[in-house]
Parts: sequence; structure tokens; C-alpha cells
Amino acid sequence: MRRFELILPESVDDCVRALAQRGPETKLLAGGTDLLPQLKNGLLKPARVIDLSGVARLRAIEPADGQGLRIGSAVTARTLELDNIVRARYLSLAESGALVGSVQVRNLATLGGNLCNAAPSADMAPPLLALDAEAVITGPKGERRVPIAAFFTGVRHTVLAPDELLVELVVPTPAPHSGGNYLRHTPRRELDIAVVGVASQLTLANGVCTKARIALAAVAPVPVRATAAEQSLEGQPVTPDRIARAADLALEVARPISDQRGSAEFRRHLVRVLTRRTLITALARASA
Amino acid sequence: MSTVMKTTRDVKGIGLSIPRPDGPEKVTGQVQYVADLSPRGLLHAKLLRSPHAHARILRIDVSRARALPGVRAVLTAADIPELKRKAPTRAHAVLAIDRVVFAGQPVAAVAADEPAIAEEALDLIDVQYEVLPVSADPLEAMKPGAPPVADAGTEADTSEAQAHGSVAGVTTEAKPAKAVNISQQARIQRGDVAKGFAESDVVIEKTYRVPMVHQGYLEPHAVLAQWDTTGFLTLWSSTQGSFNTRSEVADVLELSENRIKVIPMECGGGFGGKIRALCEPITAILARATGRPVRYVMTRREELEAGMPAPQVIIRLKTGVKRDGTLMAIEGEAVLESGAFSGAVLAVSGVFLASLYLWPSFDVKGFEVLTHKPSIAAYRAPVAPQTIFAIDSQMEQLAKAIGVDPVEFRLRHLQREGDKMANGQPWLSNGGAEVLTRLAEHPLWKKRAEWKASSPKGRLRGTGLSLGGWLGGLQPTGATVRLNPDGSVQVLTGQVDIAGTNIALAQIAATAYGIDVDKVRITTGDTDVAPMTGLSAGSKTIYTVGVAVMEAAKDARNQTLEIAAKELEASVHDLEIDNEKVVVRGVPDKGITLAQIGKKGNLYMSKVQPVLGVSHPAFSQQAPAFCAQLAKIEIDPETGEVTLHDFVVVQDVGKAINPLAIEGQMQGGAVQSLGMALTEALVYDDKARLTNPSLLDYRKLTSADLPNIETIIVEKPSPHGPFGARGVGEPPIVPAPAAIANAIEDATGVRLTELPLTSERIALAIASAT
Ligand SMILES: Cc1cc2nc3c(=O)[nH]c(=O)nc-3n(C[C@H](O)[C@H](O)[C@H](O)COP(=O)(O)OP(=O)(O)OC[C@H]3O[C@@H](n4cnc5c(N)ncnc54)[C@H](O)[C@@H]3O)c2cc1C
Repeated sequence: MRRFELILPESVDDCVRALAQRGPETKLLAGGTDLLPQLKNGLLKPARVIDLSGVARLRAIEPADGQGLRIGSAVTARTLELDNIVRARYLSLAESGALVGSVQVRNLATLGGNLCNAAPSADMAPPLLALDAEAVITGPKGERRVPIAAFFTGVRHTVLAPDELLVELVVPTPAPHSGGNYLRHTPRRELDIAVVGVASQLTLANGVCTKARIALAAVAPVPVRATAAEQSLEGQPVTPDRIARAADLALEVARPISDQRGSAEFRRHLVRVLTRRTLITALARASA
Repeated sequence: MSTVMKTTRDVKGIGLSIPRPDGPEKVTGQVQYVADLSPRGLLHAKLLRSPHAHARILRIDVSRARALPGVRAVLTAADIPELKRKAPTRAHAVLAIDRVVFAGQPVAAVAADEPAIAEEALDLIDVQYEVLPVSADPLEAMKPGAPPVADAGTEADTSEAQAHGSVAGVTTEAKPAKAVNISQQARIQRGDVAKGFAESDVVIEKTYRVPMVHQGYLEPHAVLAQWDTTGFLTLWSSTQGSFNTRSEVADVLELSENRIKVIPMECGGGFGGKIRALCEPITAILARATGRPVRYVMTRREELEAGMPAPQVIIRLKTGVKRDGTLMAIEGEAVLESGAFSGAVLAVSGVFLASLYLWPSFDVKGFEVLTHKPSIAAYRAPVAPQTIFAIDSQMEQLAKAIGVDPVEFRLRHLQREGDKMANGQPWLSNGGAEVLTRLAEHPLWKKRAEWKASSPKGRLRGTGLSLGGWLGGLQPTGATVRLNPDGSVQVLTGQVDIAGTNIALAQIAATAYGIDVDKVRITTGDTDVAPMTGLSAGSKTIYTVGVAVMEAAKDARNQTLEIAAKELEASVHDLEIDNEKVVVRGVPDKGITLAQIGKKGNLYMSKVQPVLGVSHPAFSQQAPAFCAQLAKIEIDPETGEVTLHDFVVVQDVGKAINPLAIEGQMQGGAVQSLGMALTEALVYDDKARLTNPSLLDYRKLTSADLPNIETIIVEKPSPHGPFGARGVGEPPIVPAPAAIANAIEDATGVRLTELPLTSERIALAIASAT
């Protein structure tokens, strides 16, 4: 690892100020579970690193007045896995947090780091897409909000400008009779990266699906919503046949590549299997 | 040779389950590895490695790197006078001269005050490459006209085969054919296979593939080098054999061996990957260039990209049987991909394919093929798991095809003691049939039909077993045993303890001398002081060094008794050692303590010789050791996920010197081979570049993947091992891949022939079968 200057801001404002002088030579550090391997392998050689661990606001989970929950960008995967409110309202997000790495990794890995690193396989992204979350971003020109579905622009690229910081996620509270589920496939049980990840979220009213969300990871350069599949479910009761059809339709947005984690063929196969399985679980949870 | 010494009291020695005394200090981080040493003036080395698998080096400019403050040396091949073309081994190819032959090959070396400075210096080295076509696939590389790997005229390296002492008699002749990348070739034949196939009722032909896999030791390669003012080199090394390291470094540096001392440091695992010298020569050269101590510790990424993994093995097998189960013929071709330098062991594959079972006719060819990948080394029972995967899968399918019990089929044809191996030598006493028979009695095997029938909805359950082993290894060795002035006993060998062998050797010394094991101290000495010894490899430490320690302890015991006989005015034959005292049998109050004898050997003006037992044996007879394993699994057919429910290891250890340590070996071997079976592979792209150089994507199994591993020890004494012991390290890594493939077929009906048996391969095979 190369030598670098370490900056330790204590507030979001400090951080924005430090970023103002930021060139391509500066990197933000949250848990470091993505950044440090990249530094060690020489993929990145920043001259300055801004460590976010001293900024309390980024670690907060608070009610967002009338609109759900604010989850700070530096909240860890382990917190999402265990937090009672997150578990009660956004079970798929808690499930995705629980799948990251190992306990040691989860104690470091943050939600913001997972999103800003923008790997196509990021586990915490699909549940947030399925939950219609918004990203709160701040920079020298002030704060702005971006729907999470528009946050990712490519492999390892987001809408964040070099002088901006992801502050938090605002996640709306799902309507009554909603249920969600996140599943992924990995070749190894733990300490592995998704070959495919699928989050599904269903809302029911009088036995009819009023809202369906299906989001996929690791099958395109960015996490994607399977809108055709979602629409095929909305406005009618969710039956096994419709679930099977939705699983087929989910394939339409999948443009997987073949790499050392899995072939495109296997990824397409898994999109079907995991979409079906998450829909079955989401339906059961929404009906409960 | 191997009789238990008689004492009136039970001596606490062999047979006891004693935890490794070095365990607590290892798990609490107290142990000093090479990376923990910090001599004054220490410099840190880093290597610039080629990003290309095959390229000509047009120009290297190190001037900017040399100018960086804190940099003490930047070397290229031009700075190393000993460097020659046609390097026969990786160790000799210290830095690429004008052509790189694998991605990750070092082209320049830096020593600097801090690791970070050394890394920055690497960025400042400018290398111009002309990229050349690569041989990335061994089957393509065998063809005439394939891009050549070695310099023309390079000799094959068969020292690994010798080091493992695996099998004599198979002709592994280096043969420069038209196919330039075939570096070794061998063939074993008996009978008429064409006739055998013509008379067979069932002929099965399949090709099995096992990719390159990494040994996965926790501690990466590490070495510290320092020269003194007289030109004497000291190396602190993480090695499996300090004397071998000394010889190799002496050869590369053109130094006399007595100008080098190798201090074997605590070795954080090797599994065959730390037999051959790798980074010792360049570290020594950097230390010479700077006049300072220099340390090099490889990163995990470097280990995966440029370590010395196990070869890729591709085995085509054709086998014929009669409907009544009579074996008729086997024809095989084993291709061992050895990367950029020669050094694979062909013979193991040949012997297991042609003569684990009794084939009336066989024709098996072996090829070592060079490719533009890192050169290979041994990995725990080199080539045996890969070979058994092929032959055992084949036996299972033959048994199925003719509808006979797979265990009975194997037992009926298994070669026994005295049967002739393919190389003409007889099989020596072994427990192959015993371990398989014992496993077949296990309730998990007997109840396999119930397990299969119990599959829940959407899941498939199955059971599989397999039999494999290791032929054993030999190497001359030595040990001394001395009596201390306080009556305790001190054992000295040069043998590196990579597997808890020192406690077992102490147990052997205790029993052979007649003293409790807690009164025995054992030390691994460096190459200046220890008796010369071989590698800690090939499952031969206890089998060979155990004999040296036992004989040296007996020698020390005899000397002790002779001194006592004089002192007690008794005949040696009437004496025994009991409770740290030599006593006259039947006259318990007539005796002399070991401490009294020990003191006499170390007193000013004393005329009594100090007790110093010595043994330095050589060996001629191996002790084959077999292992049978069973896997009970469940498969999610849609995702291909395999859940391991139970795993059983039955192993013939001859005599269990330390059962606890042996169980650890049995479980550790099983864990490594389950990884090989299910998830591990070094995956290269078509430019021969590694695509998964991290432990996130090079998937060793974790504890979350592993089941309970039951161990069952069988003891069929070996004729020559200490107290009947056999080697225990290699056998348990051998059978698992075949056992898993057999279990998968039992569960799903699908036969897979390419490792690793990943969820992807399983799911897609099931999907295309239905
Ligand atoms: C062993 C291991 C296992 C893993 N397993 C998984 C897994 O199962 N699933 C998975 O999805 N990932 C996994 N990862 C990847 C990683 O742990 C996660 O992506 C994690 O959430 C990253 O968070 P972090 O806080 O460590 O990010 P960091 O490494 O600190 O940062 C990641 C990137 O985000 C940027 N960044 C961080 N915070 C902000 C912010 N507030 N604003 C703007 N930019 C920011 C950083 O500059 C950096 O570029 C694994 C990693 C390891 C090492």
C-alpha cells in the first residue's frame, strides 16, 4: 500500500470542506472493506484519504418525518441485520445486510460504502430499489435527493460528483400488507459475492397485488428493476402461474456477463429461480 | 527393528493424544514468523512482476526508481552475474532475462527502507514489453507449433519426483520431441489392451479434469537474508526443508553449501508449496547488493498469481469389463500442466491408474506439458487426488453399469500386498482393503438408500464413497538424543515441524528411551548444527525421522544402561529404566538416577562419557497408506448448491503415535480436498492471466460449508516404520473429490467429470438432463 495523508473530519460540514479541495487524488473511507483491498492491490493510489468514522450523523438511524426512515450512509451491515425497526419494516434490507461477508466484515462494511463502491453485485442495493429509497447527497452546492434507481450510472460509477458525499438513505414505510425478501446465490456459503441477487417486494389489498417491485443484482452493469415482471403482477391476485410468468419476464432486463463468478447462462438460470423464490416468500410475508 | 522397549511402568509416550504444545502460542500470536523478525537496518523487498504471460522485454529503465529517497537497491537481470538462460527451475530464474514466460514473473527487484517506499519504486520502473502469443491450454500447448515456453534445450526437472520418493521404476525420460512444450513423457504397458476392449461387454471412456489449485497455507512465502563481512549468508526461511533450501540457494548463487546457513523458522503451512526455493535467491541477492538484512514477504495476491500451485491434470480413461465383473483393460493418458517450468511427478498417476486395481492389460501414458503459467509444485499427495478422482469415478460407473455393489467391485479388484504394480515392483503391506471394508460397515453407508429416499420436496439426497492413498516417501535423515545433567532427554533433528511432528517424535523418543514424554525436549536445529535431514513432505517425517529418533533414543538408552552397569556392578541385561532411575530388575532399591548419570557426563575431571545417542539411517521400503472417505450430501437441484451433511474418514495409520494429531491431519486433509472437490480453481483467461487472484474468488471452503468430519483410525502396522507407523499426512486429501462426484451421481443421476463440482456445473447439468 502506498503512503497517503489521512484526514479525520468530525462533521458533515468538515467533510464537505475537505472534499472541496478534493481532486481525483482523494478518497472517502467508511468501513474500508472495499477500499482497503483496492489500495493494497494498487488499483487505487490516492494521495489523501478522508476517514468518515468520526462523523456521528452518518451512523444515525432516525425517523424521517412522515416519510419513513433515514439510514445514515455509515450504518453498518451488521446494524441493518440486527436493527429492530429495519427488520420489522424492511426485512429484505436486513436480509441483504446479514448476507454480506462474515460477521467481522459486517461490523465494518457500511451501507454507503456498498452503494458508492457501485459493484453490480452489491447486496444492499436491490432491496433499496425494491423499497423505492432515495439517496440524500451533499456537496458544496448543498443537498440534493436522487431516487436510488437513478443513483448508479455504471460499473463502479454513481451520480456522485467528486466533491459530493452520500449522507443517508430515506426509505419510505411500506403500506400495510407488504412483504419483501432478498436472496442471492453464491458458490460458497459465506464470504462470497453474489452471482445473482434478487429482491422482491409486494403489497396486497383485498387479495390483489397493488404494488410489486423486483430488483436484480449482478446481471447488468448496475442494479436494475424488472419493470415488466412487476407490471405483470400488479392489479391482480398473485398466483403460482403469475409468479412463474414474472420470473420469466424478469429475464428481460438481465444482460449478464460471464466471469470467474458465473457464466451468463447460469446467471439467467438463477434470475428465474431466485425471482420465483423471493416472490413466493414476499407473498407469504405480505399475506401474514 | 521396531520393538517396544520394556519398562515395569507404563511410560507416557506413543499412543497418547497430546495437544500440540505450540498451539496456545500460535493462536495467541506469540510465535515469531519470518515477518515478525526485525534486525537492525532491515530493508524490505518488493518485486516488479510481469503483467503479461509471454512477452519479450525490450527495455527496462530503473533510473527513476533508483532516485526515490529511501530506495537502497533496484536490480534487474543485468545486475545478477549468476543468472543464466535455460533456467531448469523457478529458483534459478531469479529475474526474467529478456523474455517473461508467465504473468507474475519477476522482472525487477527493489529493496527500500519501508515496504511502501519499495512499492512506490515499482511504479517508477519503466518496462517495455513486446507481447507474444501464449500457450494457455495444455492440450493446445502439446501440439507442434504451439508458442514455446522454455528456452530451447532446457532440461526437464525431475527432482520433485525424487524428493517425494514416490515410485521407482516408471520411466520418466525427458524427451525433446517436435512438440516443444512436452517436457517429460512416460508410458507403462502390459498385455494387449485392444484385445481386452474387444472382449469387454462394457467399455466406458471419459475425460477428467482438475484445474490448478493453490495449497492455501496461511503464511505466505517469507525469507530474511543477511550476509556477514566474510561473505557468509544466513537465511531465515519459511521452508519445508532447510537443507534443501540451502542446496538450491547454493546452486543458484554458485556458493559452497558451507557458506550458507538456513534457519528454518516457524512454518505457517506448506503442503508442498514450500519445498522448492522461490524468493530466497532474489532476497539474498538484494541483501548482497545493499549490505543490509533484507526481508521479502509475499502478498496473498502474489501467492495466488505467482506461487507454485498444483498442476492442472487432464486424464482420459477408457476401461473395459465383462458383464460378470471381470476387469479387462485400461487405457489412459494423463496430461500434467506444469506451467512455465518442468517439475511435475508423472509416476504417481501412472501407478494409480494402471495398478491400484488389477487390470490384465493396461497402456497408460503420461505427459508433462509446459504452459505460460506459474510453474507448479507439490501439493499434499501430489497428483494423487486428481488421479483417484479419475480412476475411482470410473470404477464407480463400471460397477453401476454392470449392476454390482460398488464396494465389492472395488474390493474384488484391489491389488493386494505382493501384487505387481505397473512399474514391476510389488505392492507392500497396506491397509487398502481394511479401510474400505471398515467404511462399508459404517451406518451412513448401510443406510444410504434410506437417506436418498428421505429427500424433502425440491431437494436430492445422496451418498458416495471412494478409496485412495499414498505410496509413501523416503529420504535419509538423522537424529541425536542426549541425556541432560538433570536426567531429562534432549532430541535434535533438522526436521521442520509443519504438522505437529515434533510432539510425535518426542513421544517416540520417550517410549524408546523409557522416560515420560514431558521429560523430553525436541529441537529443530538449523543447517549448521542439526544432523542432515530431508523434507517435511511426502508423509515421511514420522516414517523416517521417527526411526532415526527411535534408534538414537535406543542408542542413548543403551549407553545409559552401560554406564549404570559399571556404577551398579551389574549386568546390562539385568537393568531397566523406571521412574527416571536405572534399577536392577527385582532389586528396586539398587539403582542410580538418570540425573546422576547425566551429571557424570558433564563434570569437570569426570571419566564418564556423556550419553549421546546417534542414528542416521537410510531407507529402501516405503509404506503405502490408504484412506477411504464417505460423503453424505443434499443438493438443491435448481441452484446446484451442495450441503455436506456428514463426512467420514477411515485411514490406516499403521500405529497411531499421537491419535489427536492424526485426527487433525485426517480432518485437515479432508477439508482441503473438499475445497478442491467443490469450489477451488485458479481460473485463467485466454491470455493465461489469473482472473481470481484473491481469497474472495479463489474459494477455500469456510467452516460454514463444512460438516462434522468423523475420523476412524485403522492400525495395520507397517513392517519398517517406528512402532509400525505409516505416513498420515497425504492419504486424507486423496479420496474426497471422487467421493463427492459419486454422491452427486447418487443424488441426481448426473455424472460430473470436471472439478470443481461447482453449484453452476451441477445446476446446469441437471437442467440440461431434464
Ligand atoms: C471478505 C469480504 C466479503 C465481502 N462480502 C460482500 C458481500 O457479501 N456482499 C457485498 O455486497 N459486498 C461484500 N463485500 C464488499 C464490501 O464489504 C461492501 O461493499 C461494503 O458494504 C463496503 O462498505 P465499506 O464501508 O467497507 O466501504 P469502503 O471500502 O469504506 O468504501 C467503498 C467505496 O465507497 C466510497 N464511499 C464510502 N462511503 C461513502 C460516502 N458516504 N459517500 C461517498 N462515497 C463513499 C469509498 O470512497 C469507496 O470508494 C465484501 C468485502 C470483503 C473484503
